[in-house]
Amino acid sequence: MIAESQSAGANSYVLLQIGNRRFGLPSGIVTELAPPVRLHTFPHTSSLVAGVIVRRGRIIPIYEVAKILLGRSSSAHQFYLVARRGFAARPGEAETFESSAIPVNGQCELATSDLQPCGEDRPPYVSGMLAIDGESIEVLNFDVLLAMETARVTDGSRAEAQS
Amino acid sequence: MKIAAQEAGKSRRARRSEAMILFVIANRMFAISADSVQEIRSTDSLAGSANEIDNSGISKVRHTLERSHQTYYVVNAGAHFGLPVTRPTLVLILRQLRVAVLVDRIERMAEVPAVHSLPRAFEGDERRWYRGLTYIDDHVIPVIQPSGFLTPEEFQRLDLATSAAAQRELEGAVQS
Repeated sequence: MIAESQSAGANSYVLLQIGNRRFGLPSGIVTELAPPVRLHTFPHTSSLVAGVIVRRGRIIPIYEVAKILLGRSSSAHQFYLVARRGFAARPGEAETFESSAIPVNGQCELATSDLQPCGEDRPPYVSGMLAIDGESIEVLNFDVLLAMETARVTDGSRAEAQS
Repeated sequence: MKIAAQEAGKSRRARRSEAMILFVIANRMFAISADSVQEIRSTDSLAGSANEIDNSGISKVRHTLERSHQTYYVVNAGAHFGLPVTRPTLVLILRQLRVAVLVDRIERMAEVPAVHSLPRAFEGDERRWYRGLTYIDDHVIPVIQPSGFLTPEEFQRLDLATSAAAQRELEGAVQS
């Protein structure tokens, strides 16, 4: 079922706006565009996570990706784009998925285009480029993007341990 | 038969729900299983039975408490969760752990139908702090993991600090 939906949307992308920039996400992983529901917060130490929302009885974490994509938090977002984040399998276990969401401003559209390769100078969370209406749009690797903070912290601790 | 099946369903649902104490620290609400709390006392009522603890290196624990020949470490829950400083008025003495927890106030008791596991997005200390999350009256509330207040290493450091303090006290008494 998942394989079918992924192949059906192989060149299909959801274009979303964060701050003043547009990005693309493979449509196969996008679940819904949620309205501006209440953001619940509680003490935690995961710096990329802003809190959680409740959708259809499920608790969904919200990632403040503007910190990575724009270098700052963006207050202009009112909607939440819910998508499927994959977690790498541990030895002997299957890959797991979790609904995760990012704040967007609601101006989302579906586009079909071929994914162009991107240069090596692009950040690791960019999986390719789309050329749409003369605009070059970065396609995000959702799993890599959401793991950026973990990677940064892990690298930091590794460097600290080595020094 | 049908009625019996319905009753069985009801009792299964009833078994899943759990009595929780909802409490507040720095205007943030938390839930803790009522079964894991032995006693709730006001901080005023404990003035005589609390002792200061020095040089443990664990800033969230400043006092010990003697209850039923057992020493409890008093954890300031606000400091534990990195919340603004408040003036706690209550202490939750936990069951099966040598921990008492300072909180601002008890909100109420609640029957919680389900504890959702903490999303994997949360990767830090909160994985030790919380058993999961619950959703009550349009609020998502973290459910406390009682064993998360102090790690085994912290217990060890506190035990060393208290035994050193007891030793100093004994030596002082002998000299005087």
